[in-house]
Amino acid sequence: MATQANSLSYAGCNFLRQRLVLSTLSGRPVKIRKIRARDDNPGLRDFEASFIRLLDKITNGSRIEINQTGTTLYYQPGLLYGGSVEHDCSVLRGIGYYLESLLCLAPFMKHPLKIVLRGVTNDQVDPSVDVLKATALPLLKQFGIDGESFELKIVRRGMPPGGGGEVVFSCPVRKVLKPIQLTDPGKIKRIRGMAYSVRVSPQMANRIVDSARSILNKFIPDIYIYTDHMKGVNSGKSPGFGLSLVAETTSGTFLSAELASNPQGQGAAVLPEDLGRNCAWLLLEEIYRGGCVDSTNQSLALLLMTLGQQDVSKVLLGPLSPYTIEFLRHLKSFFQIMFKIETKPCGEELKGGDKVLMTCVGIGFSNLSKTLK
Amino acid sequence: METKDQKKHRKKNSGPKAEKKKKRHLQDLQLGDEEDARKRNPKAFAVQSAVRMARSFHRTQDLKTKKHHIPVVDRTPLEPPPIVVVVMGPPKVGKSTLIQCLIRNFTRQKLTEIRGPVTIVSGKKRRLTIIECGCDINMMIDLAKVADLVLMLIDASFGFEMETFEFLNICQVHGFPKIMGVLTHLDSFKHNKQLKKTKKRLKHRFWTEVYPGAKLFYLSGMVHGEYQNQEIHNLGRFITVMKFRPLTWQTSHPYVLADRMEDLTNPEDIRTNIKCDRKVSLYGYLRGAHLKNKSQIHMPGVGDFAVSDISFLPDPCALPEQQKKRCLNEKEKLVYAPLSGVGGVLYDKDAVYVDLGGSHGFQDEVGPTHELVQSLISTHSTIDAKMASSRVTLFSDSKPLGSEDIDNQGLLMPKEEKQMDLKTGRMRRKAIFGDEDESGDSDDEENDEISEDDELENGSSDEEAEEEENAEMTDQYMAGKGVKRRKLEELEEDSEMDLPAFADSDDDLERSSAEEGEAEEADESSEEEDCTAGEGGISGSKAVGEGSKAGLSPANHQSDRVNLEKSLLMKKAALPTSDSGHCTAEEAFASEDESEESSSLGAEEEDSENEEAVRKKLSKPSQVSSGQKLGPRNLIDETSDIEDLLKEEEDYKEENNDSKETSGALKWKEDLSRKAAEAFLRQQQAAPNLRKLIYGTVAEDNEEEDGDTREELGGLFRVNQPDRECKHKADSLDCSRFLVEAPHDWDLEEVMNSIRDCFVTGKWEDDKDAAKVLAEDEELYGDFEDLETGDVHKGKSDSDTQNEEVEKEVKEEIDPNEEESAKKKHLDKKRKLKEMFDAEYDEGESTYFDDLKGEMQKQAQLNRAEFEDQDDEARVQYEGFRPGMYVRVEIENVPCEFVQNFDPHYPIILGGLGNSEGNVGYVQMRLKKHRWYKKILKSRDPIIFSVGWRRFQTIPLYYIEDHNGRQRLLKYTPQHMHCGAAFWGPITPQGTGFLAIQSVSGIMPDFRIAATGVVLDLDKSIKIVKKLKLTGFPYKIFKNTSFIKGMFNSALEVAKFEGAVIRTVSGIRGQIKKALRAPEGAFRASFEDKLLMSDIVFMRTWYPVSIPAFYNPVTSLLKAVGEKDTWSGMRTTGQLRLAHGVRLKANKDSLYKPILRQKKHFNSLHIPKALQKALPFKNKPKTQAKAGKVPKDRRRPAVIREPHERKILALLDALSTVHSQKMKKAKEQRHLHNKEHFRAKQKEEEEKLKRQKDLRKKLFRIQGQKERRNQKSSLKGAEGQLQ
Repeated sequence: MATQANSLSYAGCNFLRQRLVLSTLSGRPVKIRKIRARDDNPGLRDFEASFIRLLDKITNGSRIEINQTGTTLYYQPGLLYGGSVEHDCSVLRGIGYYLESLLCLAPFMKHPLKIVLRGVTNDQVDPSVDVLKATALPLLKQFGIDGESFELKIVRRGMPPGGGGEVVFSCPVRKVLKPIQLTDPGKIKRIRGMAYSVRVSPQMANRIVDSARSILNKFIPDIYIYTDHMKGVNSGKSPGFGLSLVAETTSGTFLSAELASNPQGQGAAVLPEDLGRNCAWLLLEEIYRGGCVDSTNQSLALLLMTLGQQDVSKVLLGPLSPYTIEFLRHLKSFFQIMFKIETKPCGEELKGGDKVLMTCVGIGFSNLSKTLK
Repeated sequence: METKDQKKHRKKNSGPKAEKKKKRHLQDLQLGDEEDARKRNPKAFAVQSAVRMARSFHRTQDLKTKKHHIPVVDRTPLEPPPIVVVVMGPPKVGKSTLIQCLIRNFTRQKLTEIRGPVTIVSGKKRRLTIIECGCDINMMIDLAKVADLVLMLIDASFGFEMETFEFLNICQVHGFPKIMGVLTHLDSFKHNKQLKKTKKRLKHRFWTEVYPGAKLFYLSGMVHGEYQNQEIHNLGRFITVMKFRPLTWQTSHPYVLADRMEDLTNPEDIRTNIKCDRKVSLYGYLRGAHLKNKSQIHMPGVGDFAVSDISFLPDPCALPEQQKKRCLNEKEKLVYAPLSGVGGVLYDKDAVYVDLGGSHGFQDEVGPTHELVQSLISTHSTIDAKMASSRVTLFSDSKPLGSEDIDNQGLLMPKEEKQMDLKTGRMRRKAIFGDEDESGDSDDEENDEISEDDELENGSSDEEAEEEENAEMTDQYMAGKGVKRRKLEELEEDSEMDLPAFADSDDDLERSSAEEGEAEEADESSEEEDCTAGEGGISGSKAVGEGSKAGLSPANHQSDRVNLEKSLLMKKAALPTSDSGHCTAEEAFASEDESEESSSLGAEEEDSENEEAVRKKLSKPSQVSSGQKLGPRNLIDETSDIEDLLKEEEDYKEENNDSKETSGALKWKEDLSRKAAEAFLRQQQAAPNLRKLIYGTVAEDNEEEDGDTREELGGLFRVNQPDRECKHKADSLDCSRFLVEAPHDWDLEEVMNSIRDCFVTGKWEDDKDAAKVLAEDEELYGDFEDLETGDVHKGKSDSDTQNEEVEKEVKEEIDPNEEESAKKKHLDKKRKLKEMFDAEYDEGESTYFDDLKGEMQKQAQLNRAEFEDQDDEARVQYEGFRPGMYVRVEIENVPCEFVQNFDPHYPIILGGLGNSEGNVGYVQMRLKKHRWYKKILKSRDPIIFSVGWRRFQTIPLYYIEDHNGRQRLLKYTPQHMHCGAAFWGPITPQGTGFLAIQSVSGIMPDFRIAATGVVLDLDKSIKIVKKLKLTGFPYKIFKNTSFIKGMFNSALEVAKFEGAVIRTVSGIRGQIKKALRAPEGAFRASFEDKLLMSDIVFMRTWYPVSIPAFYNPVTSLLKAVGEKDTWSGMRTTGQLRLAHGVRLKANKDSLYKPILRQKKHFNSLHIPKALQKALPFKNKPKTQAKAGKVPKDRRRPAVIREPHERKILALLDALSTVHSQKMKKAKEQRHLHNKEHFRAKQKEEEEKLKRQKDLRKKLFRIQGQKERRNQKSSLKGAEGQLQ
């Protein structure tokens, strides 16, 4: 069969995750060339290698070829297998880096996925596990991925550079997804948050909470920010603190913002008050952007819309992030799917910036891995 | 006689008449008043038994629930594709005749030779595609997959044939389409009774196969070689009103039953290499699901391909538009069968084919396109070919551009693109002026209108001119050129339509330029005439005339040159606008702008007045356009552009700044707000272009990335490909977070206010605002009293009613009458509320099933409504080509045999494949040998499967699942049981049915379908195992422990099996303990009992088997015409052996031999001494113990003699020998002597005895005589004495 013919080719290591995830879901092989070819340190980094290893663990029959220098990667996807898996993530990137892709793949496994991920739970680059738990999981529930076993548990918290965090993610398997119509974001009825601190004074969390509340109280009184101080083995290997905020609306959409302290030994020390305030501002920015889906989860929502039945799905988003834009292009090349994009100008209403209404017809994807009993 | 025949009148017992009579009767009895029996006789309907009632209720509920199907979203398109009617039957049963009759019935046309599918309009809302199916099993399988309705012809004079049953079974596996039996040859029955019996017999057999009550049609006989009209008419009615159930496979996969095929290969390639791979285009109605461009398809009988291009064509057999009348008129009864040569005009994407062979009526029927077609006939190449060959050079140094360059982009121009961009202009301006300046906004709108008006004028005048020209052209020049011109001009029109959308950025300049444009357009068109027709003189003069008409006085001589350039440019620009796909419209506009610039540059020479304006225009739009071109590539670039834009609005900015400075705000804050404004602008800018931004630039990696691709597109247009900066971006951080580049200052009140309404504390929409909704409710339902609390709620009423109420309240105490009326009012209100509640409650009581159904219905509505208002070009991009469209599918790299051996009788199906259905892997299925198939199937024998769209040969392994989930290999399929089958082949979704056949070639006497089943699982590895027994032998036996050897070869192997269970043949169980050092591979094992040396120890293990990776698609369509049913693939070993005459070498050990039993030797019984002692004497062994060996001391030594002694001994020996000899002799003599003596003595004795005997005899005689005498004497004496 002409598997070689319908393979896709890309250059550069950016958007590596999207490409590999979409390749796995669509069954089309992908070749990525010139990975940091001009760099002093060419080839794949540790965290990317770790990601590829993770893919290898959760699939069956994947073929991965990497050249000597690591600048070229050929990936021929197998079938998603799932089951109980453990994985040590690289500490260069947060667990969120890996978890985002797992969220895309987990509903389409042969056996329900139950994975233990170890590494950095909260860092400044990737969406933290807290945020994903608060925003991505409810989003998946909208698509009919639900059940008792659907959970994300933070066992240990690990901050960069040491890591040492542990997360358990389990997800049930679905054969088909439901189409969604998320066009009304609703109004924000409450704001919740989690101020965490590990290997620093527990007072830090309280200071963060106070400063964040002082900003948000101007908008809504229903705010509760939990403080989470982990001790002993649960506190990972490095000190740090941070805050993640989630705004919930009346129609059940979640918008989030987060901020973490600088890793130990890198950059200037951050005052918890500043961090709290900045994070609150970030949340307001996110609210300004608006939409029914958080800016980090835009691509996840669009992917699951694509993989739905041959029905129309709609979602209202804030401005599209560069990552999402690239993701849309990839969706087109992997699934030949184009979204109808309509801008909804903000108008006179005081509801933040412009919104984008994304509409598509699902490709009629069905889980080919799931066994028929 | 007649009176005899008359039937007696029978009273009606049912029906309306009988009912009426009954009613009248009841009325006569004065019972009719009670309309309901229930009322009339209530006792009869009273509850007799609660249990029985409950049961009957249960039963009805059960029956109701049984009817439920899982609701599915209704995805049938508004204009469905024709229904595929497969006419199937064994040869000589009357298939072709039936098809001919049906076509004649529907269309009043007679088709003599039918090849391939025939599409006809059968009713106002229904079309049919009729296709014939012979008894080639390949064809049967393929058509069963696409059929909606099967007409199964059965020769009643013969009865059912095997093909019929085979086809029924094929249908059952691949989703069961509607099946209608048609009995033919009924006229061969002479006796009526025989006919009736046969009909009944066949009907019942048919029912058992399909379902009880399935329709079986009778075609009684032929009249002039055709079936009877009335019967055919009835059959046609049946077909047209038939309803269909959606079939899972068909609704989830797009497919095309091709009714036309064209070879598009370059003839030169064929000439050089006749075997080269072909490029073909296939035409047909798309059915099933949406088909996307570039997707994977499978052609049964040919192989897998990727769609290289797909486009939709006008429907060749369209349904009538208006449905005023009940039936179709003759014109609307269309028939379309290009393979049979029906349907005179064939439209293609780029050409129109006219079948001129002997046709006389077509020319009138063509209608509006008549002219076009006429003109086409005279040309020798198609429009597209000409377009392709035309080349344009924009700049002197650039490469000439051909249409293929533009086509290469693979882009199509949808109209809505323009609308969007029209919008773009407005959006952009709004962003610049913002909310502050509304007057400016309104100004702009005015300008817009004006420019649009101008445009309209432009357009109309242009059109007029064109029409005139066309008239001339048709008269004067060759028609082909005229056609070409028209197309070009149409394109121009398009482009001109686009102009104002962009030009509205300038105000007063616009009008002048538009006017200019008008003049220039006229010139340009005349210019073009020059180029195409080459009749400069006439047209030149005409151009002058037109130019003067426009009201300007240009120096024609100079402007002509410029205009020529411009027209070329326009042409250039127009091309991509029409042909480009997603998003080049923006670029096109940019280029148009440029062209306009150039034109205005030309005008500059004459119009010194406009100079300034032109300058301005030059500077500004060029920047805009460049910004737009680069915009998506790089955000930073864009911002810089916007900054430029912003400069123009500096006034406003400065005002702002001033205010801020005066208020004494911080410096950085001011910068911040500017940044925020920029970000805002950027977003505004980006939003309308999103589509282009996203889909315009596809960062796919081309091999010849560096520069080559750009040149390919010809100098002017550049594909928005990742630049050097983008290359940098290609290696940047992979992160999904959307960082805030320019944060707002959330301390500012207005910034804070901008999101106020996002919170529940903010303002709500009118329909959701609680206060407003309440108010509305009050208005609706007025005042009411809360009965629990006793509060009286009063609604707001109109002023006068309020007054009235006030008055009432005042009066209340005075007037008791009023009070009563108020009470009544109150009661009325309560009743109304109750009714409302009841209604709500009843409606709300919906089951889960109803909810689900409602949800599906809603989704279906949404699906239909979402893209309804868009034109097809745009729709196709979003949802793919929808079913019901007539599409043209281009496929490359098709084997040349497909074209060379093309046989229109065989169906060509393009089956769309889902995601990763083109990949291969291990497929596991549940399989059952067909009960009518005579043999059982053997593992590793190649067999042909039909799964999904595909037919292919593969090597399956059969297995059965043990209770613990182990999949154990089977050598053969079970006779009457399901088993598993696993093979390596294409991945097909779970739940897909399949069938297996041993061979597709020729006709086998028996039933051909070997097995059927369903796909269960797909994977990249399998776990089928076979049994393996390892044996070993004890070489040392202790009590329960033994040392075993011969089972393994090394200690390592033993280590792997430590703890494994082993067993002896006699049934003693044990366990492997540890490897031993001494013989390699030996181990210590412990058992539950002591072993014997003669025991054999074995271990049961499982060995994984591998499946041969063999997948061979059945390429039956590639065979030569007439040999299409002779495809044969890999042969089984049995067939090979038979063909080569190789006999199987039997294993010697497996042969049967006579059993030879060895004599068993038992050891003697040994009784221990102690036991012997204890035994009673009777049981003691009696045999004396053997004398033991003589002890050494008692043995006598050997004597060695001296020679002398030896001599003596020898002498003595000799003497004794002599003596003994003598003695012996003597003994013998004596013995003889004795014998003699004994004999003599015996003789003597005998004689003596004889003598004694005689003597005794004598004596006894004498004695007797004496006695007698004595007796005599005594008698005498006594007598005497007595005397």
